[in-house]
Amino acid sequence: MPAERLARFLGAQWGEPVAITGVKRFHGGSARETFRFDAVRADGRREGLVLRRDPASTLIETDRAVEFRALQAAYGTAVPAPEPLFCDMGSEAFGSPGFIMREVAGGRAAGLFDPEPYGDDAAAIGTAFFGALGALHRCDPVDFGLAAMAPDAAARSRLDHWRRAFEADRARPEPVIEAAFRWLDRTPPPPPPRVTVVHGDYRSGNFLFDGPRLLAILDWEMVHVGDPLEDLAWAMDPLWGHGSGRAAATVADAEAIAIWEAASGLTADPTALRWWRVFAQVQGATIWVSSAREVIDGRSHDPVLAFAGFVPYRFHVATLARTLGGLA
Amino acid sequence: MSLSLPQLLGCLAAAQAQEVAPALAGLGAGTGGDANYAAGTATTTAMLLMLLAGEAATAAGREAGAAAAMRAQFGDVPEGRDARMAALGERLQAAEAAGERTAVRAVLALLAAEAEADFTALGLPLPPH
Repeated sequence: MPAERLARFLGAQWGEPVAITGVKRFHGGSARETFRFDAVRADGRREGLVLRRDPASTLIETDRAVEFRALQAAYGTAVPAPEPLFCDMGSEAFGSPGFIMREVAGGRAAGLFDPEPYGDDAAAIGTAFFGALGALHRCDPVDFGLAAMAPDAAARSRLDHWRRAFEADRARPEPVIEAAFRWLDRTPPPPPPRVTVVHGDYRSGNFLFDGPRLLAILDWEMVHVGDPLEDLAWAMDPLWGHGSGRAAATVADAEAIAIWEAASGLTADPTALRWWRVFAQVQGATIWVSSAREVIDGRSHDPVLAFAGFVPYRFHVATLARTLGGLA
Repeated sequence: MSLSLPQLLGCLAAAQAQEVAPALAGLGAGTGGDANYAAGTATTTAMLLMLLAGEAATAAGREAGAAAAMRAQFGDVPEGRDARMAALGERLQAAEAAGERTAVRAVLALLAAEAEADFTALGLPLPPH
């Protein structure tokens, strides 16, 4: 990412000369390329900023303005989020569509293999994490630029979305994932009392924290309108539990649900939540199949995508097979 | 598995050649280079190589075990992992359509045992069921 390009763009936005230092690309974000840098303004002030832009190969096809709009809507609410600054949908400013947000200083995100990433602060983080999710589900989807949807269309819409991705990207026989799609088809969940904003990738590893403090929810590129249990089920999926057996490696499942219910004002219907928990595994498995496809087709040589098509893929196929056995 | 061993290794080789090596060359020559990204790429590669070493050592044994389990259940076993998986998928779908719960459970038990073996072969624990 050439610093001159960033300097030119920010200089035009702020109407003053800007110098760029310390451009550093983060490793790992497979949906967007993420760079951290300092912008030094005319008065010498140094601002830590983050650029997120589309890569040549993207794991998840999304509307590129959606994430920026979601950050604009979430910033300043009870849902902690980075402050979005500028978005550019062309390729002039950043080389591909992207946006700049202010860096959230002092926090870190948990890695997938961090055992007990929150340590003694797990309960506090769990309360903040599932509480913020409930707060998100109180937000008006219109503020996030999301179209209206009938509650009884929420599950079908998501199931169709991921089925299309699976059918497009599957490379080998996948009897477990196919069977799970059939089970989801046969047993539609009761509709939610209301559709809400759905973050779409709300999980451990996608937020910054500092000790017991939840600083910012990240990675809003999959935001959409739908059933709030979709987020709750994804957040509670064992893949994101760091092997702890607890929801997001924080609190017990029942406690996570209670925190979310209190914050959202909604009730988690057990039948619906069971469906969404199977759905979460199918969504995960499909994402991993799609990431493998990127590698197979030679569109990417990112080891993160190779990892996704290998380790989390096996995890979700195994948990799905067990789950289906229990449901048969 | 979704990615085969040659596909995984090819991806890792390309990542070293196209991301890590140029960054190291740039750093060595004093002309810059994204050390942060290159280091992350190299670290993920190293972790994957460790997993793949185990995979290479155990994959054939697991495949033989899975084929033997299917043969004990159904007699007939197609040659090769993909053909075997496709046959299991057909059996499962047919049993579902016929409402034969015992047969459904039998196929799912085979699939679950194989999937769990594939994952735990990586040296990682599955969560309790």
